[in-house]
Amino acid sequence: MLALEVLQGVRVVAAPEALDAARWGDQTVVLRFAADDAFAIGATDTDLADEHAIIVGETAFVGAWLTDDELDAWVIPHIEWPLPDHRPDLAQGFVAGVPAKLWLTEGRTLLLCPAAYAHELSERLR
Amino acid sequence: MTDGRRIILDGRPIPYEDGDSVAVAVMRAGEHPQHGGTICLAGDCGNCAAAVDSVAYVRTCQTRARPGLVVRRHPAVGEPALPAVDKMNLAGYAPAPRIRVQREEADLVVIGAGDSGAAAATNAERQGRTVTVLDAHDEMEVVAVYAGPTIIVRTRGGMLHINAREVVVATGAAELHPVCPGSSLIGLVTARAARQLHAAGVHLGVAVAIGPAPSGVPSIPLQGRLLRFEGEGRVMGVVMADEGSDRERTTACDTVILDLGNSPRDLLSRMSGDLPVTVVGPAADAFPLPECPTTGTVCPCSNVSVEDLQGVWDRGFRELELVKRASLVGTGTCQGSVCLPYVRSFIADRTGGIPDPFTARPASRQITLAEAAAGVHIDAFRRTPLHDEHIALGARMDRFGGWWRPWHYGDHVAEYWSVREAVSLGDVSTLGKLIVSGPDAVEFLERLYPTNIADIRVGRSRYALLLNERGHLMDDGMICREAESRFVLTFTSAGASHAEMWVRDWVDTLGLRVHVLDRTMSLAAINVTGPLAGQLLERVGLSEQPRFLQHVRAEVAGVPCHVMRLSFTGEMSFELHHAVERSVELWRSLMAHGHDLGIAPHGLQALQALRLEKGNVIVGMDSELDSTPRRLGMEWAVKMDKPDFIGRSALARTAQLPDDRRLVGLTMPGMAPIEGSPIWFDHEVIGHVASSFTSPVLGHAVMLGWLKRAPFPEQVEVDGRSASVVRPPFYDPEGSRARA
Repeated sequence: MLALEVLQGVRVVAAPEALDAARWGDQTVVLRFAADDAFAIGATDTDLADEHAIIVGETAFVGAWLTDDELDAWVIPHIEWPLPDHRPDLAQGFVAGVPAKLWLTEGRTLLLCPAAYAHELSERLR
Repeated sequence: MTDGRRIILDGRPIPYEDGDSVAVAVMRAGEHPQHGGTICLAGDCGNCAAAVDSVAYVRTCQTRARPGLVVRRHPAVGEPALPAVDKMNLAGYAPAPRIRVQREEADLVVIGAGDSGAAAATNAERQGRTVTVLDAHDEMEVVAVYAGPTIIVRTRGGMLHINAREVVVATGAAELHPVCPGSSLIGLVTARAARQLHAAGVHLGVAVAIGPAPSGVPSIPLQGRLLRFEGEGRVMGVVMADEGSDRERTTACDTVILDLGNSPRDLLSRMSGDLPVTVVGPAADAFPLPECPTTGTVCPCSNVSVEDLQGVWDRGFRELELVKRASLVGTGTCQGSVCLPYVRSFIADRTGGIPDPFTARPASRQITLAEAAAGVHIDAFRRTPLHDEHIALGARMDRFGGWWRPWHYGDHVAEYWSVREAVSLGDVSTLGKLIVSGPDAVEFLERLYPTNIADIRVGRSRYALLLNERGHLMDDGMICREAESRFVLTFTSAGASHAEMWVRDWVDTLGLRVHVLDRTMSLAAINVTGPLAGQLLERVGLSEQPRFLQHVRAEVAGVPCHVMRLSFTGEMSFELHHAVERSVELWRSLMAHGHDLGIAPHGLQALQALRLEKGNVIVGMDSELDSTPRRLGMEWAVKMDKPDFIGRSALARTAQLPDDRRLVGLTMPGMAPIEGSPIWFDHEVIGHVASSFTSPVLGHAVMLGWLKRAPFPEQVEVDGRSASVVRPPFYDPEGSRARA
């Protein structure tokens, strides 16, 4: 069964230009869920040029890093939409009927979903 | 042939040759795959359908014979039996093998690899297009074309779903079957089937040919008009008459080869509607219809005769689609491939006009439930971080509003009393939670909600309705002000997703400087409720407790929480919103520290009773799609003196209309009637019960119900008993317990 682990980070909703200019640590994986919405995995805080930005700790996503072979075997048969061609890129949609996201990089992919769906995703990708 | 090449037909092994389909193997053994009827060996009719390896309605002409394949003929009368399942012992059955689904994107899909399909593919490739060709002979059997267009293909390895830009249907033509007495006998084959059988070395005996005789197949050509087939089970003779004459001629035979003409094999194109689907080749040809049949079976699949068609015609069903529905012609295994030309001819004969073919719907082939469901997922239901705690406490979990939630923990009345008399925990993690922040946050919320926002002080909260433009209730929840320009909004569990979209839509529509973050799944929440709730929270470190409708950030049992003081149950209540990963720790600490206070968790069943005693509405359960605040008796939550909010103009307009619908409180002695019970007055139904419960603390039934006829009476009848219309809340009307 897919082992999904909690992804610790910071969730930020801010003006898109402020998010564009934000600087993060080298180990931080920043996923832009939307132009004004980012999940910075591994981050603990950030400085932004937006005094009204919402910056909160986020522990409600779980995920697993997959090799390309694992992605092909476990995930691709369960998605009904085309993956983006570019890398890195974030893809969002249903995986086996569960709302999930794929952070696609060269050679490996982070599959993540809200923790509330972790059991469903794990069960369905068995 | 080797001894290993045998299939099992009705429990008896029969041999087959290399390349045989099951149908050919069966006919080689001198049998019929069913109990009679014309064989086409092209997959067009249902006359060779049998149960193959326990799957019924498999076209055996499209199934390769292989060692040990188990074939069971359908009964001559009635349907094949469903597998017997012992419902008490479902665990004893092995799950059906999972059908794999492969998904592909394609430019042009050509269905059919015959001459016209190959030509279409070649032409498209010359134009630089990428072409995917699907043909049943290559075990790529297209069973449906859906909007998209999406093509559903049954393959040897499972199902294939292809999203295509364009589709070409090149499926050729089907051969006409005879409609006359005796058409269900064994020994009738189409010309193409005869050629196949002859090539496979199947002995046809004395064969006669009606229509052009197939080249290379020994047969005696017959001339004239076909009247009937004769025989007992198997054809023994054909009765013909010369054109223009009634004189009958009978020719003895073992096999009748029929070439009566063709019809377009266009089932897939007829289910394509206005999709980008092109039909080419014989599938697009307008073949002449056969003569109108006068007697015999038109639709062998549904056993519809000419007399049956005449019967529905005489009853006034005179359009093709109506004739189909009234007689069930064309609704069987072959979906009209055999009967459609004859039904069109039947109607043309009576109306003088040829009707268009009837619409086809997926699937064109009998597919198993597993194949149909392959790749389809049921809704995913969320779990709160306390899910396993609930299970360990004996909860009966059920699905509500997209979440698994505890309905009860074994005794909902005991849970009720723990709230009313001691302290109890409820898992309210499922509530919607949004953060709204920005310089225009106040202005935005003033436009969004019908209540005042600007006067909510930091650290205070307010209950609010969420209305749509028509002034109808969509959702409700709390507005908590955290800072001058920052708020936390809560919504109902079931309405949270829609509310989030609603909020975001209005942020965009109004063009205001507001950030929105949905924290519904990021934060868990525990409701600590009951007269001893404050005492429990003091034990776990919350000494500075917020007063009613206040909220604070504080640590509870070492867990950072956003503590909201409110009440849905009617008792002192504190909602502790906290990060999901700390939820189990917090729950366990509260349970442990409340042990001597009589703490127990409560499920939704108890919660619904508690809130009903307080007259608190559950959106979607007590409210209807067109419930306005006036109808709900909640005008106090609407500030019409505000210059604008969503739904204001509709409320101003409808306020002038008669007040003819109202959600009211009802009480009656004894047990509560079931929810949905009709409310009677003066021998007429004037409404229904939305929520009901036999109140333990009050000792009688309490209800919320709709009265939909003015003037509203003060006494009504429910469940054959008299009920009083009252103004809720039923319990603690002053609210002193919640504010304690």
